[in-house]
Amino acid sequence: MMHVACWLVQDMLSVLTGGILRIPEIFLLSLVYRLLTQERDMNLSVIWGAFAGGLFWDLRWVGIPGFFTLSYVCVVMAAIWAWNALPASGRTPLVIFFMFWAAQLVSPVLSLFFPGRGVAASRWVLFAVQQGCVVPLALLAAFFFVRRMKDHNA
Amino acid sequence: MTREWIHGLVALTVGLFLLGASPNFAVLRNVVDLVGNVLSIPEYPAVVLREFLRDLYLWSGSKSDLTRQLESLRDENAKLQIVNSVLTAERIRAELDTRMEGARVTLREPHAWWNEFRIDKGLNDGVIMGLPVFQNGFLVGRVSSVSSFSSWVELLTSSSLMIPVVVEETRELGVVVGDGEGSVLLTYIPEARGIEKGMKVSTALVSEILPPGIPIGYVVGDAEPSKSGYVTYRLTPGASVGKLYSVSVLKHSRSILR
Repeated sequence: MMHVACWLVQDMLSVLTGGILRIPEIFLLSLVYRLLTQERDMNLSVIWGAFAGGLFWDLRWVGIPGFFTLSYVCVVMAAIWAWNALPASGRTPLVIFFMFWAAQLVSPVLSLFFPGRGVAASRWVLFAVQQGCVVPLALLAAFFFVRRMKDHNA
Repeated sequence: MTREWIHGLVALTVGLFLLGASPNFAVLRNVVDLVGNVLSIPEYPAVVLREFLRDLYLWSGSKSDLTRQLESLRDENAKLQIVNSVLTAERIRAELDTRMEGARVTLREPHAWWNEFRIDKGLNDGVIMGLPVFQNGFLVGRVSSVSSFSSWVELLTSSSLMIPVVVEETRELGVVVGDGEGSVLLTYIPEARGIEKGMKVSTALVSEILPPGIPIGYVVGDAEPSKSGYVTYRLTPGASVGKLYSVSVLKHSRSILR
């Protein structure tokens, strides 16, 4: 339910900016956060959640299903792989922040090379603006994650 | 781990299939429209907020435009007022130039030296009784009688010419009168009104023929009290009353009399 709410928030923010500004991938952030905090047997629901969220985003904003669908699933799979590959001692707050940030990076980078409205230069500007919003979000997510881990270990 | 990868690969395959095959699906447009219609319900507040923000932006833009226009109009109005003032001043100066007539003193009898003199302008030149006569921009007297080709001017120093005046610094009203012996006095001033040496005296508004504001002279003497409670000051006329060869007459103007 939380992911649906995040998807809607991201959708409403996109509506608010008229689709001109690139809104941070709040939905994807919530999926990655859940991946890192939940039991592994719940990962399947996250994978298919990413698929569904990406598909709906394509249908709502792109018109061609598959683009965000693929990138969301790829990000989730990469996050699963990276998280499992990391030893427990390597899961520092900085690494966790980079994971959240990297998750935000893939779809926008792909969209940079996708044909769309505006000239290439303005797309880079929009990408930079989006990243300016993403970094605080990733920091916030990392902060909540670390606090949750501390509470869990205590 | 294997299940996750299998599910992930299946999802990626389906995604790739959708991406590759979607251009061939005619039904896709209907699906996109349906999703858009369904999502328009939760998106409604964002749409309203966006419209509000856009209206606010347009309103603030139009307001700043109006402010700019107002400032521009104020600036233009100030410039037009200056132009109007200059034009009015030029018109008044031109009118005064046409009304000011130079006159030569043709007779000044020794037995009435401080009372009157004759000038070479008369009725035919537009001179009428009561008109002010100047020398060097200061009032020197008033026309007391007129004939066709000459006029008599009663001097400020005459004891029978009384001119209502105002002290410009204090706006105190009084009467200027001569003593018939070359002196000019400022009379009927109440005591302790703060009148000091050097203050300027000019005509007060009492008649349309004699306009207000014509300079007469300056206060030079100390107050001389009288029994009636009023004081008298000695004035020095701005005009050289003792050396009169030529003067100026402010001719009659029907437009001003109106």
